[in-house]
This record gives sequence, structure tokens and C-alpha cells, in this order.
Amino acid sequence: MESLHPRIRLLWIAQGAITAIVLGVVLAGVDQWLADVPTAVIAGVVAVGLVLGIAYAVRLYQVWQFELQNDALYLERGVVTFVETAVPFVRVQHVDTQFGPIERALGLSSVVVYTAGSRNADVRIPGLTPDRARDLQDTLRELAVESEADDAV
Amino acid sequence: MEILNPRIRLLWIAQGAIAALVLGIVLAAVDQWATDVPTSVIAGIVALGLVLGIAYAVRLYQVWQFELQSDALYLERGVITFVETAVPFVRVQHVDTQFGPIERALGLSSVVVYTAGSRNADVRIPGLTPDRARDLQDTLRELAVESEADDGV
Amino acid sequence: MNRLHPLSAVTYAIQYGFLWLWVPIVLVLALGGIFDPISPAWSPIAAPLGFLAGAAYGIAYYYRFEYGITPDTFDVASGVFARRSREIPYGRIQNVDVRQGVLQRLLGLAIVSIETAGGGNTEASLNFVSESEANRLQDQIRRRTAYVKEQRRTKQRSANEGEQQGSQRPTEPDADSSDADRTGAVSGAETDTPSDPTAVPPDRADRTDPDSTPVDGEEPDAERRAYASEPDRQRRQRLFDLQARELLLYSFTSFRPAAVAAVLFVFFLATDPIIDLLVATAQPVGGPQEIGEGTATNYGILTVVSMINGIVITYLLSVAYTFATYYDFELGRTGEDFVYERGLLQRYSGSIPVEKVQSVTVTANPLQRLIGYAGLWVETAGYGPESSGGSQSAVPLAEQSRVHRFTENLTDVETPTFRSPPTMARRRYLVRYSLVAAVIVAAVFGLAQVTALEGWYFAAVVFVAVPPAAHLKYVHIGYFVGENHLVVRSGFWQRRTTVIPYYRIQTVSTRRSIFQRRLGLASLVIDTASSRTFFWGTPTIYDVDLEDAREAHTAGRKRLQSALRERARDDDLGLTVDFT
Repeated sequence: MESLHPRIRLLWIAQGAITAIVLGVVLAGVDQWLADVPTAVIAGVVAVGLVLGIAYAVRLYQVWQFELQNDALYLERGVVTFVETAVPFVRVQHVDTQFGPIERALGLSSVVVYTAGSRNADVRIPGLTPDRARDLQDTLRELAVESEADDAV
Repeated sequence: MEILNPRIRLLWIAQGAIAALVLGIVLAAVDQWATDVPTSVIAGIVALGLVLGIAYAVRLYQVWQFELQSDALYLERGVITFVETAVPFVRVQHVDTQFGPIERALGLSSVVVYTAGSRNADVRIPGLTPDRARDLQDTLRELAVESEADDGV
Repeated sequence: MNRLHPLSAVTYAIQYGFLWLWVPIVLVLALGGIFDPISPAWSPIAAPLGFLAGAAYGIAYYYRFEYGITPDTFDVASGVFARRSREIPYGRIQNVDVRQGVLQRLLGLAIVSIETAGGGNTEASLNFVSESEANRLQDQIRRRTAYVKEQRRTKQRSANEGEQQGSQRPTEPDADSSDADRTGAVSGAETDTPSDPTAVPPDRADRTDPDSTPVDGEEPDAERRAYASEPDRQRRQRLFDLQARELLLYSFTSFRPAAVAAVLFVFFLATDPIIDLLVATAQPVGGPQEIGEGTATNYGILTVVSMINGIVITYLLSVAYTFATYYDFELGRTGEDFVYERGLLQRYSGSIPVEKVQSVTVTANPLQRLIGYAGLWVETAGYGPESSGGSQSAVPLAEQSRVHRFTENLTDVETPTFRSPPTMARRRYLVRYSLVAAVIVAAVFGLAQVTALEGWYFAAVVFVAVPPAAHLKYVHIGYFVGENHLVVRSGFWQRRTTVIPYYRIQTVSTRRSIFQRRLGLASLVIDTASSRTFFWGTPTIYDVDLEDAREAHTAGRKRLQSALRERARDDDLGLTVDFT
């Protein structure tokens, strides 16, 4: 099984931090216009949010794993709900690699696999180096086309 | 890799300009009914929007590339989030060519490719000459019809 | 390329006229508020201008909308300012539906919708074409799709022959032979059809009729033409009729959420007269004389009576709606397509190629189970014309034993012996429903604090419902890992038993929440390409032992691969068209 790049934790921590700060701003707004919220409480909530975000990021990194098996892409992930998903190569519709601004700054990239399914229709593997992402995309695409040839759905 | 027609920048700039104008009207409305907004601020924001729009359009044009590979249609695009998409031909459900009023004025056309995985038209190649769009649609259609899969689902 | 029926120009003109009527009004009012020189008084002049512009747009839209049947694709070009030209390969078409409302039936018009698995909504919607044109289109598309299919099979067959030279495997896998095998093998099939003359491969077409219907674009080759015009290919065979008794039972035992929405909508539209009416009906049994006077008891009676009224009216509306929707339901087959027709006011007819069916579901609510009836649905990857997504009713309601037999004939699934999740799962539901009950009690308590409500603790009665609810949820969960199919059952209020052929699996996921992990349980989600709505969740096996979930997960994946290989080799449709 392959793990993600360790720097993905920074991305997740950043996301958690942004959420915590937004929460803090909302609370400050409540304090300003509605009811009084002590500054200590706001600070506490933001701090708890930050700590939870860090713990979540670390744990998520520990559980996130994926593997190219002989017939399918297999992924394991999830902190609260642990999910193991198998995406058979025959079912891959198209493949993306993408990276946003934070990912770009961290030198990371994601692969998104689309299936025709109604739920889990797009499966994302975050935290890959750009090279690995490109590689994975090529492999998945080839496997999708190949498996098509011997067994037309 | 093929790049888009340079005129597509005009379309994107026009879109940015429209967005900036709408923002200006909204600010004018705020000035009228809610709080006072100095005219210079409104003008500044509209100007900033315009500049950002132009910068975005230029950058997007530089990034946008696509290619018909042996087994798949391959796209690269995105300023904030950079996305590379591979669509195997066997998965193409149907193909559109589209153009809106501004595109028509600029003599441009888009090709939209639908797979069972794309819930909305997210595989779109804008900024093609109508002939090239027609061509591309024909090629993609033929490749999709020829492919062995019965319905690509 | 063809145009729509000329009457569509009129309807488009009216439709866009009224739509655009508002644009200048809103614009004038909004801009008039911001910029002084624009006066809101202009709107009476602006409105007709808007209507005219809209009508002109509608007519232009009619003239700029074209569709056509070409050898490989169905083409639609549309749009006035923004143009779109779309090409849909026949091999990708999931289903073709024809819909007719009351007015359209009077005028002899119909709406044709064509679905593929791509995109979020209907890929081509032709409103309106004449009835005869609609039938012609449905027919032509079906024949051409069948032709593409046959061609692919021929290709595959020759490829297979080349591969296994001299092997004695019969290489005549036409629909007629496989159908005959199947109907012979299935016990209890009532209608034993003679081998189907409609499935003649195109290369045997020595009766090249002159193409009776005009085909646009380049002329198709002779073979294709022969295929497209063989008259006996489209002979229609009846599979199932909804009897009057079944229709009435279905109407009275099913409930449509749309009825609630309709009642609420009417209530908000005419709140005052309806409240007056409710007060008037409650008066004889002790309701208040008028709103605003009367004792608490009066109001209590008014509330109860109004609620009963509301429920009865909603129920009757739902009954009427179901009755009108499924009136004169008829399912038949043409070649390898299911064709259905139904509806009293709004007439629907559609065709579903059998090989596009993703999964088959048997539904039954408690009332229907009580009288021993059930319904049968088929799901495709297209997006249906209704709220039910890609799900179409094959048999709205019939006796349970018949429906089960139909399912077994249709999918060739063995009679499932359902496995239940461990009893630990029931404990989960007990806890879960207790929490819900606690929330209800807390809410009532909160209400009692802010209003004059007394005796909030009576709400604790809801706890009585917790054990039976948990038990009922538990007993209706079941799954069966069959030879070629996975069968998943769940739900008390609307029990769904879904039969998923392995070759339709898209992804398999094992999910474990923190609570499930503690109990060693897991849920298995089997995703297919059926596009269903929020109400029709993805087939899920809930709360089974982790080991069992893993086993089913592996089995599903393995059998997907082997089933796909088998399907490619045997050229199997997977489903039997003659299932009744």
C-alpha cells in the first residue's frame, strides 16, 4: 500500500486553521452585534478548533492509503467513518490531475477518478507529487482503455 | 499540444468586464439605499476588477492546452486550480459544439464532451474556430462510435 | 434536418413572451431606483415590448431548432444567440420517451426525450413534434440502435471465431436462440413464445423494402437501410397489463410526497379562504366560532379536525395522482426493448433497451405487504422524465408471488435466501432511535418552557415506539450473494429489494463509522450507474460483520471481472426480455 506525501498534513492543517479562524470571526461578529461573548471563550474555541484540526490531519494522514491492485484501484481513508473503496479499472470514465493554490505552494497534486456511479462518482487521491500524479493518471487511463478492449462492457 | 485561438482572451476579458460592471451597479445600489460609498471607491473597485479579469484571461490562455492522444482526449487548464483531464474515447457518450453570442461575434466555438462520469459539462474546450470545432466533434464522434464498448457505462 | 411541429412556434412564442415580459419591468424598476433619469413609470410601456421581444425570440428559437437522423448519430442543433449542435451516437442512447399532456393529445402533439448516461439531464428534448413523427422517431432510433448492436455483435463473434478456431461452441448467439433457451429453462413461465422472428441479423435481409421513411443526411448503405425498414422487427408483444383491480389497489396503497407539496402550495396560495373553511368544518364538532375567539379546547378541536382534514385531502390527492399516472399501464416488448405506455391525462410512452438496464428493484410498503402485493422497477443510467430519476416502473403492482417470479425470470437470479446482519446491529438501532426520541422529548420540553404548554413529560410516550422501530428496521435488512447477482434488501416503510448483476457494479466501498468499528460492523455500498434521486439511495448492505462485508466486497469485485469476461464471450444480454 502506498501512503500520501507527508506534506499533505500541512494542507489539511491549513484547512483546519482556516475553518477555526472563520469560526472565530463569526463569534467575534456575534459578540459585536448580538450577545456578549467573552474574549477568552472565543480564543478557547479557536484554539480547540486548531488542535482538533491538527489531530485530524495527523490521523487522516496515518490512515490514508491506496494501491493499484490487479483489477482495481483500492483506497482506504477516513477518520470518523473509515471507508475502503475499490474502483475497478473497467469502470474509470476519465481521470483528472489537479492542484489548487495551497497544493501548488506545497508542491503537491491530486488525482481525481470519475466513474459513472451515482454516489462516490468521483474518487480523489490528494497529496501526490506532481510526477507521481501524472504517472498515476497515465497508468489509470491505460488500464481503463486496456481492460475495455478485452471485455467490452 | 494544441493551444486555443488567441481571440478567446477577448471573450474572457469581456466576461471579466461584465462581472466588474455588475459589481459596480451593485455598489451603486448600496450607495443609493444603504450606506454611502464614495464614487472613487466604486470606480477603483471596478478598475481593479477589470485589471484582474485581464490578467486572469491572459494567464488562462497561456495555460490552456489540449491534445488528441492515441486513446484519449487530454486537456490542461486552470489558473487557480490547475487541472489535467484525460478522457478515453471509449467513454465518450456524446459531443456538442456550442457558441454563445460573444463567441459568435468573435468567430469562436466550443466543443463539450460528455462522459457518464461528468454530471455537468466539465470537459469543455473553448476558443476553437468553428471549423476546428466541427472537425474535433466529428473526430470524437467517430472514435466514440467505433469503440467497442456498448454504452461506456 | 427537420423542424419541430409548427404549433411549437406558437407555444414557444407565448412561453418566451411571458417569460421576457418581466425582464424590462424588473430592469426598469431596479435601475429606476438607482439612477434618477430612469422612471418606474416606464414599465407599462416596457412590458409589452418585453413580450414582443420574447415572442420574437420564441419564433426565432423554433426556426433555429433542428434535429435529424444521420447514419451514426442523432443530431440536434438549437439556440438563437448561443448555438449548440449535439451529436448522440445511437449506441449510447439509454432510453427514448414520448410524453403527451392533455392539450397535446387534443392537438396531436408529443414531446420526445432522448437520454444517454452522460450529462445531468435529458440530452435531447423535442417539444413538440406530431404524434406520428414521435412514433417514427422512436422507431427509427430503436432500429438504428439495434443495428449498431447487431453490427458490434457480428464483429465480436467473428473476432471470437478467429480466436478459438474450430472450437465447437455454438456461434449463433442471436436473441432468438438465447431467448428460446431461457424460456425453456425457466419454470413457471406462462407465455412460451415461439422463437422470435424479429431478431434476424441484418445480413440476412433479403427483403430490401424501399425505405418508407425519409432519412436525412447522407444515404445509409443498403444493409443499414434494410435494417431500418424491416417491418416485422417492430412487432410488439404484450408483457404486462395493469388490471383495474391492481390499479385501484396501487392508487390506494401508495403515497406520493408530491401530494403534500401540492396541498401546501394551495394552502399558501389561498391561506385565508382555506382557514375560514377549516373553521367552518370544525364548528359543528366544537371548534371556535371564529379565529380569535374561543377556549383552548375549541382550538384543540380545531387543530385535530384540521389535521384530519389535511391528511384525508392529501391522501385523496395522492390516490387521484397515482390513478391518473398509472391508468391503462401497459408493458410490452419490441425486439430487445421494453416499451411501456401509461397515463390518463398526461400520456407517457417510452422504450428501454434491455441491455441498458442497470438493476432491478422490487418495492413494497407495509400496506402492500399486508395484502401480498409488490411492484417491480428497472433502473437505467439515463435521467428519466420524472422525479424518480432513471427508475421506471415495469410492473407497478402485482401479487407478490408473481412479482418474484417476474424478477427471477427477468434477471435469472436464483431465489434469494437472505442473510441478516448480526443482532448487534439491532442494538445500534435501539440506541439510535432512543437518541431520536430523547431529542423529541427535549424539543417538547423546550416548547413547554416558552409557551403555555403543560404536561411535556407525556411526550416520553415516544420511547414506547423505539424497540418496535429498531426491530422492524433490523428484520427488513437482508442480503444475498448469489451466483451472478447481489441482492440487497432494506427499509420498512418502503422496502426495496434490489437485484444487482455483478457486471453492473461501478465501485464497491466498505464503510465503518466509529460506532460501527467498536461493534465490529461495517456497511457495504455497491454503486451502479443508475441515476437515482435522493430518495432512492445507493444500494447498501447495512451493519454486517466486518468479515462478511469484506467477503462480499471481494466477491463483488471478483465476479465483476469474471462476469464481464463471460458477457463479452457469450454475447449475453444479461436479462430476459420475456419475463412474464
